[in-house]
Amino acid sequence: MELLEGINWGLLAPLFIIQLILLIVSLVDLSRIEKTNGPKLLWVFIIIFVNIIGPILYFVIGRRND
Amino acid sequence: MSQWMTLFQKEILEMWRNFKWIWVPITFILLGVSEPVSSYYLPQIIKSFGGLPEGAIIDIPPPTAGAVLASGLSQYSTLGVLIIVLSTMGVIAGERKSGVAAMILVKPVFYLSYVTSKWAGSLLLVWFSLFIGYLSTWYYTGQLFDWVAFSDFLQSFVLYGLWLTVVLSITVFFSSALLAPGMAGFISLALTLVVSIFSGALSHLLEWSPAQLTSYASGLLSAGELPEHAMPASILSILVIILLLWLSVFLFKKKELAA
Repeated sequence: MELLEGINWGLLAPLFIIQLILLIVSLVDLSRIEKTNGPKLLWVFIIIFVNIIGPILYFVIGRRND
Repeated sequence: MSQWMTLFQKEILEMWRNFKWIWVPITFILLGVSEPVSSYYLPQIIKSFGGLPEGAIIDIPPPTAGAVLASGLSQYSTLGVLIIVLSTMGVIAGERKSGVAAMILVKPVFYLSYVTSKWAGSLLLVWFSLFIGYLSTWYYTGQLFDWVAFSDFLQSFVLYGLWLTVVLSITVFFSSALLAPGMAGFISLALTLVVSIFSGALSHLLEWSPAQLTSYASGLLSAGELPEHAMPASILSILVIILLLWLSVFLFKKKELAA
């Protein structure tokens, strides 16, 4: 617990919030989109469990634009 | 002009629909801010991992604020470039593949306005994301280390933005010259990488290379003054951007008429 005390939460909280926004936006997009590269369920797991990189990966390579 | 504005607005709207306006800026914020945060908490991170003998003293000198900001900025020239290229490689090639381009171009639309409106839309996104991301990196560096002068921040921002614009123009060029988005992305990435490596290795010979703008930006942050070759490098970058745009319109027209 000693470790957690030295951290300035006021400064770090915004980062967690925007990370959460990224996660929600990618899930919303995933639910709306018709087809993805690869199985849809796989992307759900990647987005939720791969921290930060997951949603970005989804937008860059998982999304299909045509 | 009104035709160009319509096409431009369509670009902006499309980027809203596929959430580019949200995820690109957020990615840029997270990329940049991770640098000051992780270097600030580095001693604590090392301590929590443990494995050090009792009484070991780790003495890492705290980095200067300029160095932290410069390393945050350098994130944009690696992962940032990757994101820009991957998200814009399909901008023209993808539309041509799916047939949307043909649908737009049967109407009396100038090829010039079609290509430049797409380029301008992506340009706006890149500069907006870079500004938001870099501004938050600057703010976090100021909070955790020391404040870097705002004028230095703005100057290095413009230098970096110019380099990213060159990268963007290269991507748009290959996107209009080739049919496959994946191929366009791959060639743009390879070209960007080769140019950066060569300019880095032969920095005394290629002082005017646009890729040098990134090292000028970090030089500005650590030394506090604009490196002497930054001006010619910026002018050359602007010329390269104009040339690439002109060439992409030219090639696109040729391909489209042939098809």
